Amino acid sequence: MNSLAQRFSTTSPLAHFRKIQRLADEDEDVSDAAWGSQAGFGSLTKGVPTFTVPNLPDPTAFLRLHTDDHADPNCRIKIQHGTTTLAFRFQGGVIVAVDSRATAGSYVASGTVKKVIEINPYLLGTMAGGAADCQYWETYLGIHCRLHELRNRERISVSAASKYLSNLVYGYKGMGLSMGTMICGWDKTGPTIFYVDSDGTRLKGDLFSVGSGSTFAYGVLDQGYRWDLTDEEAQELGRRSIYAAGHRDAFSGNTCNLYHVKEDGWRFIGNFDISKMHYEGPGDVPGAPGGGYGYALRVEGKSSANPPVAEAAA
Amino acid sequence: METSFAITGKGYVLVAADTTAARSIVKMKTDEDKIKILSPHLLMAYSGEPGDTIQFSEYVERNIRLYQIRNTLTLGPSAAASWIRRSLADSIRSRRPYAVNLLVGGYDTSSHTPELYWIDYLGTLTKIPFGAHGYGSYFALSLLDRYHDPEASLEEGIATLKRCLDEVAKRLVVSPGKYLVKVVDKDGVREIEI
Amino acid sequence: MSIMELNGGSVIAMVGKDCVAIASDLRLGNQALGLSSNFQRIFPVTDRIYVGLPGLGTDVHTLWEKFRFRVNMYTIKEEREIEPETFAHLVSSTLYEHRFGPYFIEPVIAGLAKTPSGGVKPFIAATDLIGCLNFAKDFVVAGTASSKLFGMAEGLWEPDLEPEDLFETISQALMNAVDRDAYSGWGCVVHVITKDKIVTRTLKGRMD
Repeated sequence: MNSLAQRFSTTSPLAHFRKIQRLADEDEDVSDAAWGSQAGFGSLTKGVPTFTVPNLPDPTAFLRLHTDDHADPNCRIKIQHGTTTLAFRFQGGVIVAVDSRATAGSYVASGTVKKVIEINPYLLGTMAGGAADCQYWETYLGIHCRLHELRNRERISVSAASKYLSNLVYGYKGMGLSMGTMICGWDKTGPTIFYVDSDGTRLKGDLFSVGSGSTFAYGVLDQGYRWDLTDEEAQELGRRSIYAAGHRDAFSGNTCNLYHVKEDGWRFIGNFDISKMHYEGPGDVPGAPGGGYGYALRVEGKSSANPPVAEAAA
Repeated sequence: METSFAITGKGYVLVAADTTAARSIVKMKTDEDKIKILSPHLLMAYSGEPGDTIQFSEYVERNIRLYQIRNTLTLGPSAAASWIRRSLADSIRSRRPYAVNLLVGGYDTSSHTPELYWIDYLGTLTKIPFGAHGYGSYFALSLLDRYHDPEASLEEGIATLKRCLDEVAKRLVVSPGKYLVKVVDKDGVREIEI
Repeated sequence: MSIMELNGGSVIAMVGKDCVAIASDLRLGNQALGLSSNFQRIFPVTDRIYVGLPGLGTDVHTLWEKFRFRVNMYTIKEEREIEPETFAHLVSSTLYEHRFGPYFIEPVIAGLAKTPSGGVKPFIAATDLIGCLNFAKDFVVAGTASSKLFGMAEGLWEPDLEPEDLFETISQALMNAVDRDAYSGWGCVVHVITKDKIVTRTLKGRMD
């Protein structure tokens, strides 16, 4: 009954798609070939990107059944999961830190994934959930941020950019898009972070962590966080938190990519091997305490034994 | 959600467990003691299926006591942990298993060493310097990797434990309100106000 | 969630020239959460036999306790040490006793058998969780990283490796395999068994 109603409704996602497709078909005078590629952003000539959807009465229900959704982890189509990403605001700007592991089931498919997407020199987006979804839509967001700049002769605010993304993905709600992202940047209002996910949630805040290892990152991050952190301390905290998650969470790890956003845009601080941080520390970088982060290394030679003083002396 | 923590320090083990007894969406009780004193130098924090927890912990308590009466000597922490593990391992393959997760903390009076064992309802056992059960472990373990000190004084240990409780209170959606904390050291077992 | 993948962990054994090696990782996890980085899953059976027990954490303990008991009983009754092949059959029948409610362990056995001439002959074997024996001439693998271990071992193993070269080969195979497995890792331990000594080394692996 529900699907029948949706078929004839003018507000259902299906009707929305029909409308988009109809609009696209009418726009015959602009050839796809003119843009060099019929794939990817070539489809922008038609105003909005178009996607083929399953040709069924209710594509949303079909996609929910067969693609990866929180509702059903045992579905057919698996999208890469398992990540730790974090971002926090402080006196000196925004710190963005992520891991670099991609897993497919228990298989570590890659250890060198770039999970920070450089949208433009003032905006960064982080990637958790579906890798392709994040990459595509955040790059797409970059295009629109540039268009905004050209049209209005000023940079888009982080708030507007994140709202744009949020509205976009909300349009595909229920069709299996999977992304949990933080849009970070510096605009007229100062350093800003927005959390945006594929459910349509959009939150402004000081400190976020997203992904399977986020709880571990929060544990270290919350305990070390203060607004008046120095730049060095903040970078160290971001790095240390990603290490914590990489260590404890099986689906996070390999390396940490660290970014710092300031008034003049973002700066890439470095790439740090998590296992090297465990044994030797992050190396000669500002804020590093020296020595490995690993628990066993930190407490080496220490003992909880409490022998009586006389016995200990003997 | 049920949460328990335990950390070792210089000559002691601190064990903390939340005090809520919940049934469905209702808190039935908010001052339940979920840390059993098994012997003069042995503590056990338990969580899991209501009913199973009480039955199993009392079964353990009485058997440890029975051993003490029969042999006039008490099982040490590692021996007790092994016996408890075996009980759970046998139980998991029985008709109706106990679904109980445990943190067994004790002070070995012969080697003057505090010992802590993590045991789950399957009978998985591992010796650790600090540990947790429940959703709390996802927040506290990374924090303890960073802040735990095996040579911490009791005051420092309590401060580290408080970090864990604060973190869970801050981040966990259904965080427990109150905790009961007990410590075991060379002088035996006692309750601590935090 | 698979019960064989609940706690993670992997074991590999290899044959060399008059020597065998057996190695495992040290991780004990609860699904994605790492709990311990010093979980022993390889145990000495006699002076010349080691057994690796990858699989469900609780059964690692339970089965090892059972094997230790049965091997001790064998030693007392027979008044001699058990031979690797006999032990392999003991493992197999112990597992098959629980055919309809198995222990979730896939044991790997490595040892040196005595020959009538007084020499030694390398022996390795593995079984599935209900005791189907697999005697191999080259290497055996088991655990969550088994598919990755097969790839590494197929590529690195060669016949008649000396103890030091065998150590290098098994270490490289294990370390690189577990780095591609989310549920294995957190350090490794390697035992190389030769006629007159056993060399045990703990390796620093990736800790993520």
